[in-house]
Amino acid sequence: MVDRAGTLTLPAVRSGSLRRDRMATQTLIYVFLIAFAAITVFPFAWMVITSLKDPRDVFRIPPSLVPGLLFTDQPLANYQTIFTELNFARYLFNSAFVATTCAIGQCVTCSLAGFAFARMDFPAKRWLFIGLLATLFVPVEVTIIPEFLLMIQLGWLDTYLPLIVPSLMVGAFGTFLLTEFFKTIPRDYEEAAAVEGANAFQVYWHVFLPLSRPALASLFVVAFITNWNELLRPVLYITNPDLRTVPLALMSFQGEYESAWTLLMAGAVLSILPMVLVYLAAQRYIVQGFMSSGIK
Amino acid sequence: MRRAPITPYLFLAPMVVGLLVFRVIPIGVSFFASFTHWNVIAPPQWAGLANYREMLGSADFWRVLGNTSLFAAMYVPGVMIIGLALAVLVNRKLRGITFFRGLFFMPYITSLVAVALAWRWVFSTRFGLLNNALIEVFGITNPPAWLSDPIWALPSVAIVYIWQSAGFVMLLFLAGLQSIDRTLHDAARLDGATAWQSFRYVTLPLLSPVVFFVMIISLITSSQTFEVTYALTRGGPNGASTTLAYSVFQNAFVFYRMGYASALAYTLFALVGTLTLLNFTLRRRWVHYG
Repeated sequence: MVDRAGTLTLPAVRSGSLRRDRMATQTLIYVFLIAFAAITVFPFAWMVITSLKDPRDVFRIPPSLVPGLLFTDQPLANYQTIFTELNFARYLFNSAFVATTCAIGQCVTCSLAGFAFARMDFPAKRWLFIGLLATLFVPVEVTIIPEFLLMIQLGWLDTYLPLIVPSLMVGAFGTFLLTEFFKTIPRDYEEAAAVEGANAFQVYWHVFLPLSRPALASLFVVAFITNWNELLRPVLYITNPDLRTVPLALMSFQGEYESAWTLLMAGAVLSILPMVLVYLAAQRYIVQGFMSSGIK
Repeated sequence: MRRAPITPYLFLAPMVVGLLVFRVIPIGVSFFASFTHWNVIAPPQWAGLANYREMLGSADFWRVLGNTSLFAAMYVPGVMIIGLALAVLVNRKLRGITFFRGLFFMPYITSLVAVALAWRWVFSTRFGLLNNALIEVFGITNPPAWLSDPIWALPSVAIVYIWQSAGFVMLLFLAGLQSIDRTLHDAARLDGATAWQSFRYVTLPLLSPVVFFVMIISLITSSQTFEVTYALTRGGPNGASTTLAYSVFQNAFVFYRMGYASALAYTLFALVGTLTLLNFTLRRRWVHYG
């Protein structure tokens, strides 16, 4: 609007050259956009192309950009191999299980705590909240060594527990997100519920949770993606091949099948594809969620 | 709502227990551990300041710190310049602009391990896309071995991280750009300013709080990188790409020197803590502009 007003005040004589200028600028902008898009896409594209190549075609110089298998009767041969010979279904299941449990768990623990912070008064509330936020800034390197020793003490190595429990119980960012969101819910709602005799948990469960779907969705996808991609904890806690998550499996493939690039890239595609699909489906929640989690 | 005084604590219980067990107590334990020799198998032995003394006297530590700074010196300006360029590019109403925004952000949500593997294949010395492009297209006869080259290993890791997080930084800058009053630009253009002048003298000064804030966030991010280093170089060749965070990992979980690793972790903590405090104090002063 302002734009148009600004343009209109310019002398009419120049409007022709101005339009041409604008066309040139727009073309230039698209050129840059497409160049950046190409840089963004090319590692993904290279990954997909390699995953669709015959293993013998991989070590050609110069490398060919043709996904050769597409023109045979077994275009997905590499994908078949990682499922039949490398147990990849199991790794996908492990990752999905861990990420889903963490995400649901964070929604529960963070919304419970967020409700208390947003709507209740209790001693030391302010300090507890500040303490919670402060943990966001503590590098994982500081806490991971004692955490590792604790997991050994608990006998949790080579179980799903060390991948799930720490993430599930310390959702500092999620608590912050939901506290802020709960504060925006009008008090009338809970007062109406209280008049009808609802207790705190009922208000939380029947009033606050249903009203908070967008915030919960943001938290869910951010927690899911973060845990799906997590590498450090699986590296530390998992040695049993059956319990490998996808990133850990990819790292072990790399060690065991050093030059099996077609299989490695097929695995990489499968680890990225679910996230890309989730991203396409829930882009708005994801962007909002990551923005607030990154900004803190 | 009528409720017993214990109710808030029931709501908080899982969070508080988690906070204590996985954050507060570990922060204390690793502080204590940094004054001990501890190899996990035997109980920790009090060592006083020995770990810190060893750290400050070790050439390796200073090299690691140098790598960490060098990494930050590549990553922070790189990601900020590209992120800002992307933000300026997508901050307009053009056909398909939401598509480009979505695309640029996409690497940020994908697994760093998978992405690093793809880049490993790009960087591969003989069969990689990059070196073949350098040879075929640009006629460079002797391209570097990237990941196994002591000079290029760290920049390679930085390139992957910049590629992966530029879209995130773009969104931070975009939010900043969109909060700037557009009439200011129109006024500048009416006064005869070129696009560049309007960017340089109107946008950038107004954006300076955001620039500062993004810089601190990027510095913090750059000090805590792990995945790509682990997937691409394991800190090598010969320690050439070992940064402080990676050195904590190595000392703790490869060499099982928990005490020394804790001392390194606390050094990192001090670094990140300083940056965070700087961010909070200066942000409060800077955030009100115009």
